[in-house]
Amino acid sequence: MDLFLQQIANGLIIGSTYAVVALGFALAFSVLRVIHFAHPDVFMVGMFAGLVTAETFPFGGLALAMLGGLIGAGVLGYAIERTVIEPLRGRDVLTTLIATLGVAIMLQNGMALIVGPDPVPYPPLLPRRFLDIGPVSVTVRQAANLGICLLLLAFVSIYVRGTRIGRATRAIAERPDVAAAFGVDVARVCQATIVVASAMAGIAAVSVGTLYGSASAFVGLLYGLKAFTCMLVAGNRYFEGVAAVAIFLGVLEALVTGYVSSSLRDAVAFLVLIGVLYFRPNGLFGSYQT
Amino acid sequence: MRGNGLAPPLLAIEGLAVSYGAVPAVEGVSLEIHPGELRVILGANGAGKTTIIKTVLGLLRPRRGRILLDGTQDLLRCRPHQIHRMGIAWVPEGRQLWSTLTVLDNLRLGGFRERDETVVARRIDEMFQRFPRLGERRNQISGSLSGGEQQMVAIARALVSGPRLLLMDEPSLGLAPLVVRDVFALVKEINAMGIAILMVEQNARQALKVADWAYLLETGRIVESGPAAEVAGKESVQAVFLGGHA
Repeated sequence: MDLFLQQIANGLIIGSTYAVVALGFALAFSVLRVIHFAHPDVFMVGMFAGLVTAETFPFGGLALAMLGGLIGAGVLGYAIERTVIEPLRGRDVLTTLIATLGVAIMLQNGMALIVGPDPVPYPPLLPRRFLDIGPVSVTVRQAANLGICLLLLAFVSIYVRGTRIGRATRAIAERPDVAAAFGVDVARVCQATIVVASAMAGIAAVSVGTLYGSASAFVGLLYGLKAFTCMLVAGNRYFEGVAAVAIFLGVLEALVTGYVSSSLRDAVAFLVLIGVLYFRPNGLFGSYQT
Repeated sequence: MRGNGLAPPLLAIEGLAVSYGAVPAVEGVSLEIHPGELRVILGANGAGKTTIIKTVLGLLRPRRGRILLDGTQDLLRCRPHQIHRMGIAWVPEGRQLWSTLTVLDNLRLGGFRERDETVVARRIDEMFQRFPRLGERRNQISGSLSGGEQQMVAIARALVSGPRLLLMDEPSLGLAPLVVRDVFALVKEINAMGIAILMVEQNARQALKVADWAYLLETGRIVESGPAAEVAGKESVQAVFLGGHA
């Protein structure tokens, strides 16, 4: 039972991180109709922006590093939207997919050129101390990562449901033409959406870098494939559904690791996800027609 | 501006031609509507009715032609959200509500162009008084409503924007006969409030009863134009739309 609870806790921690990246994918896909394959690498750049901030201002702590990650990722996301995605708007989904994939490769290898291909140590922005919560034992870093990611998810939910521009975001996701004909400046909302998704990823990335104590130019690959699959499995109708599937994936992975074998972790996780898509091709929670 | 001291039409479409790729949908259509009028474009499926509406809204780019608002404002230079902000609202074919949003959120988005939240709230209250059923269902997901209720939401959503000109695309499509009567009565009521309406319809019988002026569209061209009562008497209209029911 203790192992079970411990693995659930581990799963929530990793799953909430997948959820933040997956939600960025889902926002970009629903609103801009683009499979934004550079998004996980915006996350990666955010991680390094946080690292540089922390090393430049050693007394700024985690908060300042996260601000650095937010700005670095947000600015990069905005730049990609304006220079790559926006000029290709209205083209086939495949066109923007390949274009953003190109950006992804550039970012990965560009960063590898600067910092080298191997992981580099991340500044210890939080202590490594353990916290005992009942039978479950987690580090301060793990608890912080879970808390930060859950806050980011809550923020997106409030943003799309409670704010004027958030409502416009959902309106574009379902019916871009009707939204435009009701006064929504679609181009502006698209920019805002990418900036929100990127900034969120940047904040989470600093937390993840701190959690694992390292950053790598290729860290995006790990999160990208899983986050993308979560979006497909959930469908793009409800953003909260994407987050739920991502968290479920994290828990499933942790349980397989704990009870079966860590080498089967990804195989089992993807088998379950593909199984869901086989029976519900539009995703668990449904998708909008595009 | 037109001569003889008359005010310019609210909306004037001149020589409009629109194609989907190489396929022409509308060929040289000219029509106009004055403030407070109710005009209808009749035509069969595929005649190009929806194409005209979507081009006015800025959602389609024409090959040729001009669309002027108030005789001066060239709508072809504007993007859809800018056109809407000039006071043009849309009741789309098949309602096209935001199906996962509540009735209330659909109406709030209808008032998106109005930045003053209290104005939007007041207009929404007016809609709930006019359509008590919608008031009862304000927090229900709009996709769960009946067809007739959804049409009410689509019309209310357009009215919340406070339009001068309402473009209605087949408001009676897919509704039960009793509801169709309600919808046309409502169209008449809205027009009586001073809002100009350009409506596209296949239900010629009902549309000709409420409209001031009618155009008949066939394969992208206007073949008849005149006061609704006159057009109703034309043989071509009788044959195509009113025959068999008379």
